[in-house]
Amino acid sequence: MEAIKVENLVKEYRIAKKDKGLGGAFKNLFVREKVLVRAVNDISFTIPEGEIVAFIGPNGAGKSTTVKMISGILTPTSGRVLVNGMDPQKERIKVVQNLGVVFGQRTQLNWDLRLGESFELMKHIYQIDEEKYQENLKVMDEILGIFSIIDIPVRQLSLGQRMRGDLVAAMLHSPSVLFLDEPTIGLDVDGKYAIRKFIKEINRVKNTTIILTTHDLGDIEELCKRLIIINKGKIIEDGVLEELIDRIAPDKNLVVEYFDEHYVKHDKAEIISRQGNIVTYRFCKDTITGAQLLCDISEQIKVKDATIEEAKIDDIIRIAYSGR
Amino acid sequence: MFGKMKHYGMVTLINIKLAALMMLEYPANFVGWLLSNPIQFIVGFATIKFVVERFGNINGWDYGELAFLYGISVISHAVSMIFFVQAWFMGSYVIEGDFDMYMIRPMSVLYQFFFTKINIIGITDLIPGICVFVYGCIKTGYSFNISNLIAVLVTVVGAALIRGAIYIIMGTFSFWTRSVNDFAGFTQEFFDKTTMYPINIYPHIMQFILTYIVPIGWVSFYPASSLLSGVNWEVSVTLLIGIFVMILAGLFFKAGLKSYESAGQ
Repeated sequence: MEAIKVENLVKEYRIAKKDKGLGGAFKNLFVREKVLVRAVNDISFTIPEGEIVAFIGPNGAGKSTTVKMISGILTPTSGRVLVNGMDPQKERIKVVQNLGVVFGQRTQLNWDLRLGESFELMKHIYQIDEEKYQENLKVMDEILGIFSIIDIPVRQLSLGQRMRGDLVAAMLHSPSVLFLDEPTIGLDVDGKYAIRKFIKEINRVKNTTIILTTHDLGDIEELCKRLIIINKGKIIEDGVLEELIDRIAPDKNLVVEYFDEHYVKHDKAEIISRQGNIVTYRFCKDTITGAQLLCDISEQIKVKDATIEEAKIDDIIRIAYSGR
Repeated sequence: MFGKMKHYGMVTLINIKLAALMMLEYPANFVGWLLSNPIQFIVGFATIKFVVERFGNINGWDYGELAFLYGISVISHAVSMIFFVQAWFMGSYVIEGDFDMYMIRPMSVLYQFFFTKINIIGITDLIPGICVFVYGCIKTGYSFNISNLIAVLVTVVGAALIRGAIYIIMGTFSFWTRSVNDFAGFTQEFFDKTTMYPINIYPHIMQFILTYIVPIGWVSFYPASSLLSGVNWEVSVTLLIGIFVMILAGLFFKAGLKSYESAGQ
């Protein structure tokens, strides 16, 4: 069964246009021009249970707006959202009982009190029974080491520790769907590692469906098979990471280091740069394999060293954002 | 239904516990309010005393009766501050997108908005209120029997609901105006002027408005009149109006929440 189903979702905002300067401000008192902005423009997708999906796009692309409509925070202008078969607008309480949300830039935790108090509140809000609560905390401790910070006031936690606290708070009631809005933003290497490990673990053990929005390509590479790229309110790519790379950037580079100035030309590869003994060939992997190319070359001149460069994920995303 | 009440009851207890913990975390803050808050009510009370000494009474209300009226007004103010003060800041919640947090949890948004931040500091308003009220009781010879006590409690609950509902309705406009409407000062002033004096000192049109349109007359004037003349059952009208306007406010808030746009697109 699909965890999330989105059909022809649209969200429009009316934004008041402001004229420049004092004269403009005075004019705006009487005449208000409103501009209609389509933040999300007719998008559809489905996410099956247990999948980890990255939702990426430039700032202002409509990612957060979409996630907020799915979690019932925003009312769609038109279109349909179903979470576990339910409409979050009509059955908000039932939907969120099975939903965990973490906003990386904001905390659900009570700033002034020890971390444990916030967990205690969650326990009662979600009506988690004592046994389950203790069991979940223990699992979280194994992955995130939560017991070592549970007695510290939230305001004294480091960003990384606070993020762990927020993740635990969002997972205590074992939701089947988890939204993570930029979960690794501002974290150091250790912090990112811990959060990613947690996400993988929770997905593996509990089969939790996870949607994450991120600008961190490391998150995507490590966590997600599937990628949804959204720009200007529309989905521009939706698919498996490797397939996207194959389709958007089918070219690879072969960098060959020769022993001296002599080098080879090949009719299925284009030379894109030459610096001393090092020559870079670009080839399309549909016409020739990297191994074949290298074999052809080394038959003619002896090769000292060679590497194959694939398009990196940031290239893919840059190409996708620019609309190709 | 019973399960739901138990759920909300338990969460309320936890929220009260957290509010108490917060107060203990910052004791100086509480002490500051404890010292400064009573002063404004003592000043208000001094004004009444001054007016009465000049004119003998206000529209037939003598000093003791006015203290009784003012006492009810301040006590219901204190209760509304404890539970509903958040409504004064609804505008900034709308602008900052702070309702997101409440909308992703399986409880009523309005309940969470008020009860996750119970304002225990509001107790500091309760103390001068009770003092003035007890003073009024002694002056008027109002007796503390069970029936009277229940009637006073019913009045306070009803009056606090009326106040809270009006705060909610005013705050809810922020969903459409999308601005921080700072009506805290205005509301406090307005409620002070309309609940510390008997409303029959105002012109008829104003009395009509305060009775039927913005039912502030039912916060202190009508119930105090009923209590002082010994017709205790009449205060149930205050409670009924309180419940009614609170339901209206809740529905209005729900409609406003539909237009909620969170923050940062």
